Amino acid sequence: MARNRTSPEEFARPIRRILIGLLAILLLALFMLWRIDSPRVERFRTALVDRVVPSFDWMLLPVTKAGDMVKGFQSYTKLYEQNQDLRQELQQMRVWKEAALRLEQENAKLLDLNQVRLDPKLTHITGVVLADSGSPFRQSVLLNVGARDGIRDGWAAMDGIGLVGRISGVGRRTARVILLTDSNSRIPVVIEPSGQRALLSGDNTAAPPLEFIEKPDMIRPGDQVVTSGDGGVFPAGLLVGAVAQGPDRRLRVRLSADYERLEFLRVLRSHDLEPLTDPGGLVAAPVPTEPYGPAPVPEAEVNAEAAEAGQDG
Amino acid sequence: MVDPLRRDILLHRGIFVAVALALIFIRLMPMGGLPGTLPGPDLLMCLILAWLLRRPDYLPALLIVAMVLLEDLLLMRPPGLWAALMLVGTEFLRSRIALTRELSFVVEWLFMAALMLAMFLGYRLILAVTFLPQVAFGYALAQVLASILFYPVVVWLSHVTLGVHKPGMGEVDEMGRRL
Repeated sequence: MARNRTSPEEFARPIRRILIGLLAILLLALFMLWRIDSPRVERFRTALVDRVVPSFDWMLLPVTKAGDMVKGFQSYTKLYEQNQDLRQELQQMRVWKEAALRLEQENAKLLDLNQVRLDPKLTHITGVVLADSGSPFRQSVLLNVGARDGIRDGWAAMDGIGLVGRISGVGRRTARVILLTDSNSRIPVVIEPSGQRALLSGDNTAAPPLEFIEKPDMIRPGDQVVTSGDGGVFPAGLLVGAVAQGPDRRLRVRLSADYERLEFLRVLRSHDLEPLTDPGGLVAAPVPTEPYGPAPVPEAEVNAEAAEAGQDG
Repeated sequence: MVDPLRRDILLHRGIFVAVALALIFIRLMPMGGLPGTLPGPDLLMCLILAWLLRRPDYLPALLIVAMVLLEDLLLMRPPGLWAALMLVGTEFLRSRIALTRELSFVVEWLFMAALMLAMFLGYRLILAVTFLPQVAFGYALAQVLASILFYPVVVWLSHVTLGVHKPGMGEVDEMGRRL
């Protein structure tokens, strides 16, 4: 067979081998570059995803919808049982709703009496889930909102009920949400009612385990898990799920968010907390900002005080 | 005035790109993919290996690298590493085309299984050497086993629908040489 080949082939072969070697070295160099200077390459990746995935929106959405319809069709067979369950649940929910309304009114009254100021700045942006991570080993989704909608790294993403994940990687038109189940996800949480702090660390299973619990004895399965707000990026008090004990006796969290159908996600705008840099007035002598009574003060002194107050403020 | 053989090659390269893109985007669909479920096969790898063994002229190295690198980037894998391993694996296979042509399908399947396992182990090894976090070994191995199981299906489908088969006795390439 080789005898039939004409001579140019014989010259081309070593050159081709060298070129292939160069290509392999180039690819490995890209990998090493990513390993050494990950943010730069990740930024390039985000930009690429931002360019490519939304342009396939027209294809992704209908196919996803069709898949959902097939799933829905399968559930028709269990319609009767589901109906009964839902009726029962609805009955229970009505009771809860009454209780919640009463509590809400009471709460509003008490807050009003105490003049508590809640953080009013928690607003949200809703995004549609465009794509999955595509690999069974990574748990993340891509939203169709990005930097142009004001999304920033580190913000929390929720579905209607519970926390879903954290924004990590923002392109112009898209943002990636690392789900709580991903093995890179670490979220500080508080377990109500005992107030124990812990770290919710994903491990690629449906129920991520709780780590670094101070007193595990004080926690019972069924306790509520909410975010603690430690670290300052996440807002505190977002519902995460309920504690459950796995067969391996580890404390895990059954997540409240419905991970089977993530369709719309709310991204909570959390504004940067203003850092407290001022030691406060206790160290130095307190400066009276407004004079009490009609004391006759020389004008120059008042001006100096005003200037000082202005500097402090 | 493109001659029919040249046109056939170009057509199949186009089909390969389309199928590869479709495979990547099917994996990107936000459908289920719950954590803890068994990972499915890496169909792009099966497709590349199956086609390469049959018609190496359909898949130039650059095309393979381009598609796998795109997959690396879109699926949040370490960029370049799997592409480099695929390049090495396919070049290894390409240089042994003459040997593999006479193999029966069962032997070919075993050969491919060994190649897939070798590439998988190489991938794990490099990840371990560079201290990158890895998925549990058994869980990742499940994907390779699924790929091995699906390999005959990919071969059969590409033979039936796209006519990708080993060249017969009298077939010639665009320069009139025997394939």
